[in-house]
Amino acid sequence: MKHAPLLLFAVLLPAQRLPLVAIPPGKVLLVIQPHHDDHTTDYGMGGLIAKFTDAGYESWFVRASNDEKDGAHGYPHNDMINLRESETATRILGMKGVYSLNWRNDYMDPTPLQELRAQLVLLIRKHRPDVVLGHDPWGHYDRNPDHRKVARAVGEAVWMAGLANIHPEHLDSGMKPHRVPYLFWKARVDYGRGHRPNAAVELNESQVKRKEKAYSTHRNVYASPSMARNVRKMLDSEGLKVSELEELTDEEAAVRIEEWHMDWISRKRGAENGVRYAEIYWFTDEWDYLPGLKDFLRSNTATK
Amino acid sequence: MTRLLLFLLLAHAAMTKTVLVVTADASDFVLGAGGTLASMVTQGDRAILLRVTNDDKDSWDLGPEETAARAKSEVEQAAKILGIERVHSLGYRAGELGGISPTEVRDRILFYIRLLKPDVLFIPNPYAEYVEVLDRHYTGMAAEEARRIAALPNHQPPFVQVGLGTHITPELYYYAQPFDPRRREPESTPTFTPQPKVVDIAESFDKKLQAAQALTTINYAMAMRIRQRLDQTGRRLPLLDAINAESIRKLVDVNVRKLAEIAAKDSPYRQAEEFMYAGPDHQIPETFRKAR
Repeated sequence: MKHAPLLLFAVLLPAQRLPLVAIPPGKVLLVIQPHHDDHTTDYGMGGLIAKFTDAGYESWFVRASNDEKDGAHGYPHNDMINLRESETATRILGMKGVYSLNWRNDYMDPTPLQELRAQLVLLIRKHRPDVVLGHDPWGHYDRNPDHRKVARAVGEAVWMAGLANIHPEHLDSGMKPHRVPYLFWKARVDYGRGHRPNAAVELNESQVKRKEKAYSTHRNVYASPSMARNVRKMLDSEGLKVSELEELTDEEAAVRIEEWHMDWISRKRGAENGVRYAEIYWFTDEWDYLPGLKDFLRSNTATK
Repeated sequence: MTRLLLFLLLAHAAMTKTVLVVTADASDFVLGAGGTLASMVTQGDRAILLRVTNDDKDSWDLGPEETAARAKSEVEQAAKILGIERVHSLGYRAGELGGISPTEVRDRILFYIRLLKPDVLFIPNPYAEYVEVLDRHYTGMAAEEARRIAALPNHQPPFVQVGLGTHITPELYYYAQPFDPRRREPESTPTFTPQPKVVDIAESFDKKLQAAQALTTINYAMAMRIRQRLDQTGRRLPLLDAINAESIRKLVDVNVRKLAEIAAKDSPYRQAEEFMYAGPDHQIPETFRKAR
């Protein structure tokens, strides 16, 4: 009991806020994720992508797997439906297009790392992104093999694309080496202690709304009428009523519920970090790869 | 007198440790552990380096063949400056360890552990997060496993049959450059090993710096990449307005001094290196040894 006052103090302390990071200088964003919906799930990047669009960035989405397992329509149909929905969802966020690498969904553990990495190096050299958004290569407790494999491949591709001796054949086609200067890594923060964000990104209401809409566009996996029916049953069993859902069909209600979820998580991350809406990330600045030089470079570089 | 000399020689030999340093690439062992290694050699230990990759990718305007050839001689020069007596190379191509069988790499490291029978092993920390060069992660995983199975005769029986018997390495240092924000946090409970360890390198710092300066191919590439990035974004670093031996020397100097300062933070030392360390207690905990 002698520690009780200390514990009470600890409980009363507000959670430590993360520094708010601004959109880095640049023009091109590449979002590289394993699945069709990873750009905009509750732990995902939809708000930040919309923010990049608002800042004038041109952005592209790379879907590494074929998403054949996600949905109730069987393998080839799921693949096509999920691809179409990701094209629609990413358009809502202002993205230019989707690359589908089409590796087999949930079977990416045996995918050769270097083959996948080579595809990403090629796309990085083609688009020369200033920023890459991806899954955190150092996230723990991720039970999804596609997340693990793609995160590793992206983690290597973003800097190896800058070495001329990596895939020199690309240089023969006129491409040039390109190291990606800024990175935003994302992972489920409820997956153990593996992902400790170091930065928050403030969002405005319009960006959150686009994230909500993009998320609920993935009807093949989210916003299913059966989910709405289950929610209605739960509410009934507890004698509760949500008037806004009353007039909606099950499908409309499911979309609304998904949008509330996006709104809730964005407000929660915002409240934790002193703003109205936010998302949280592991952010890597341009010189962070040189830990002994980054302070020197930040202090001594000047505009020409 | 002869007996005394013989006794002193034998006593010295008994106290001299063999240190095996496993590195994924040319710069990692120098920047992560060079000062500590130089200090150990100065104190009488013998150190041997095992390079896992051939560093054929990291250069500016050089193909992989010439890059690898230059890296070999530069690593050997850096090792010599630190007092490392020999360099062995496994020769894997840089950046491609993710596609190599981890068991194959492990067993080749195992061969050297059984051959050299080190008292101390330095390996890249495979658990250090946000280290972008994943060759270091793969090398660390393979080396950590090799140390464990070196003690087990049912691993690689042919090695035993050719005289490379089992071996326990009592001391293990995990090294990494300071990318991981949690690197100072103790792992698990206080009884768990390894635990963080900070080593004073003030005495050996100059050797570490000289060794880093010897890696001229990657130092030049680092300077060129920094300037390229600055040029692309309309900025300049006066130091790199002209990239020559002097400006690169200064850049490397800043880098190595700052790394030593980062490692020394919150320690009594001015210049340091930081490790995760598993000592002899890892095999037989101190409490049990006292009880005996």
